[in-house]
Amino acid sequence: MGITRRAIQFRVLSESQLEELHLATLEVLRRTGVDVLVDEALELFKKAGAKVDGTRVRIPPHLVEWAIRTAPSRVVVCTRDGKPAMYLEDSKSYYGTGSDTHNIVDPYTGERRRTVKADIGNVAKVCDYLPNIDFVMCMGIAHDVTESISDLHHFEAMVNNTKKPLVFTAWNLDNLKDIVEMAEVVAGGPEALRYNPFIVVYLEPASPLQLIREPTEKLLYMAQKGLPSVWTPGQVGGGTSPVTLAGSLVQGNAEALSGLVLAQLKQEGAPIIYGGCTLLMDMATGVAAYSAPEFMLSVAAWADLAHYYGLPVWGYAGCSDSKTFDQQAALTGAMHTLMAALSGQNLIHDVGYIESGMTTSFEQIVSNNEVIGMVKRIMEGIEISEETLALDVIDKVGPGGHFLGEDHTLRHFRENWFPELIDRERYDRWAERGKKTLGQRANEKVREILETHVPEPLPEEIKGKLAAIIERAEKRASEKAV
Amino acid sequence: MEFMKQISEAVIKGMDEEIRKLTKEALEAGRTAKEILDEGLLPGMDYVGVRFEKGEMFIPEVLLSARAMKASMEILRPLLVKSGAGMTRGKVVIGTVKGDLHDIGKNLVGIMLEGAGFEVHDLGKNVPPEAFVEAAKEIKPDIIGMSALLTTTMGMMQKTINALAEAGIRDQVKIMVGGAPVTADFAKQIGADGFGHDAVAAVNLAKEFIGA
Repeated sequence: MGITRRAIQFRVLSESQLEELHLATLEVLRRTGVDVLVDEALELFKKAGAKVDGTRVRIPPHLVEWAIRTAPSRVVVCTRDGKPAMYLEDSKSYYGTGSDTHNIVDPYTGERRRTVKADIGNVAKVCDYLPNIDFVMCMGIAHDVTESISDLHHFEAMVNNTKKPLVFTAWNLDNLKDIVEMAEVVAGGPEALRYNPFIVVYLEPASPLQLIREPTEKLLYMAQKGLPSVWTPGQVGGGTSPVTLAGSLVQGNAEALSGLVLAQLKQEGAPIIYGGCTLLMDMATGVAAYSAPEFMLSVAAWADLAHYYGLPVWGYAGCSDSKTFDQQAALTGAMHTLMAALSGQNLIHDVGYIESGMTTSFEQIVSNNEVIGMVKRIMEGIEISEETLALDVIDKVGPGGHFLGEDHTLRHFRENWFPELIDRERYDRWAERGKKTLGQRANEKVREILETHVPEPLPEEIKGKLAAIIERAEKRASEKAV
Repeated sequence: MEFMKQISEAVIKGMDEEIRKLTKEALEAGRTAKEILDEGLLPGMDYVGVRFEKGEMFIPEVLLSARAMKASMEILRPLLVKSGAGMTRGKVVIGTVKGDLHDIGKNLVGIMLEGAGFEVHDLGKNVPPEAFVEAAKEIKPDIIGMSALLTTTMGMMQKTINALAEAGIRDQVKIMVGGAPVTADFAKQIGADGFGHDAVAAVNLAKEFIGA
């Protein structure tokens, strides 16, 4: 699936602007550097010839350029049973959910409530059904499980409810190892998982310019395992990065590339998904604004940078600052989704993410699935051929005639996009059917999927092994508990 | 009297050079440090707070005003101490809880509280409950403020409140909490005295706590 046919040209940065950003990034790495708070990482940088003063690492340009060349320009992510599903390369686009929201809008009561484990499974189930959702990123933080290992529970809920690839988060290195072990059980062993991975971990350095302990430890671990990591800074412009986009991009690029270099130093060819999240701080509320046009623009800029480097890139779609699935959520979500495809982002997440990341909306996921369908059609462009130019038909129908009954129309009308949630009905029919808004129609669709779709289950034996890993972690957690 | 208006203006416009000049001139003209604080600086910052709540001033501008206030306070502080006048509205200890490294919000609150005339002791980030207790014993603050950005660290707020209770000093302070995932309900649940959803709310809450 995904968007693999692209006929539209689009970029937000010119070739010379990209070069300027790249060179400015090298200057940040030369002049200011990054703080690296893991000893092993410091050693790797030191041995490779970086300038290391205490925890401050200044990375020379030849290392950066080597790492960009060494990092793979394509990462293939598979389904739960090892079949290739996403080719993260070039400008191919794949959409998914995300991530880790405390709240969810209950599709039955409309109440904004705390997320529970069942919700995470349900979102995975809905995504399993939706044809335009290519992967699932954990859509919630479960409040009804042991807090310190909720990430393991999230993984269990997701992997049991879909075969689609998973992007996940892990609270610390120990938990990451447990989750990878779970994935290895599902895949059929470490080799199987390594060569046909169905999982990608999500990691962030800390802005500004810090490779802090936890994500850096996880990066080293995943690099050694040969498993893919997303390593993207999450910046809040005006707060943790400059308020001007170019400044944020340059700082972020320094953060992203330092991680890339480190991963390649640990293991040449370590698969990394590059990119960044350059949000702005809303200067009235202090909130990181997901609906800011600058954010939409910056993610497109990250994609341009990625294409310039030849690296797979992270992306954003279907997200909003809205507190509920309303007009604002739909419109900002859709703008993001279109921008993501136009700029050729590869692994595009956050479909369903509202309230600036505090809440998940099922309706947003389902309706954005529709938007993705429309976007896909737009990206396919216009085919010009003898058949599509239809000169014979034009001549046959002639001035004043019509095309409805023509063979040509019959042959090709199904190539045009058909709506499911988007309503193009005449007024009277729409009124007869209850005058339903998109929100209502989306909600009905959500319920229908929840009540009728049955994802392919994992074999009982595997389910049992996963549960055992979680039980082991529960014991460990209760021993640690104060 | 003209001085006081000009000083308030300098706070509102965030003019730290100007305010140093005005502060010195006012002192030379016979105004006391306390007068300058109460009739010049504090009304200026209070006005900034109102404008911010209305959405007419923004965070960077508020920060600039707080810095101007601080610039004037640097000159006034030794004089206030000498005269024995209550130089501050109250003492506040703030910190980001253990396991959490996010501090922009807390820093903003600290600056705003200083701007509102409080004496602020910032313990920094990743502050364990023991450190809050130590600081409380040593500094004897009126208010303790805790910040967290992660749900996984919010639990530390409860632990810190418990630690203060165990040390027998819970009832000697007012506790306020804040941070993106923190809510009024959560604050109530853990036994905090109040919650503010932004820095200006924190200042208003602090003023309430000390009865100003």
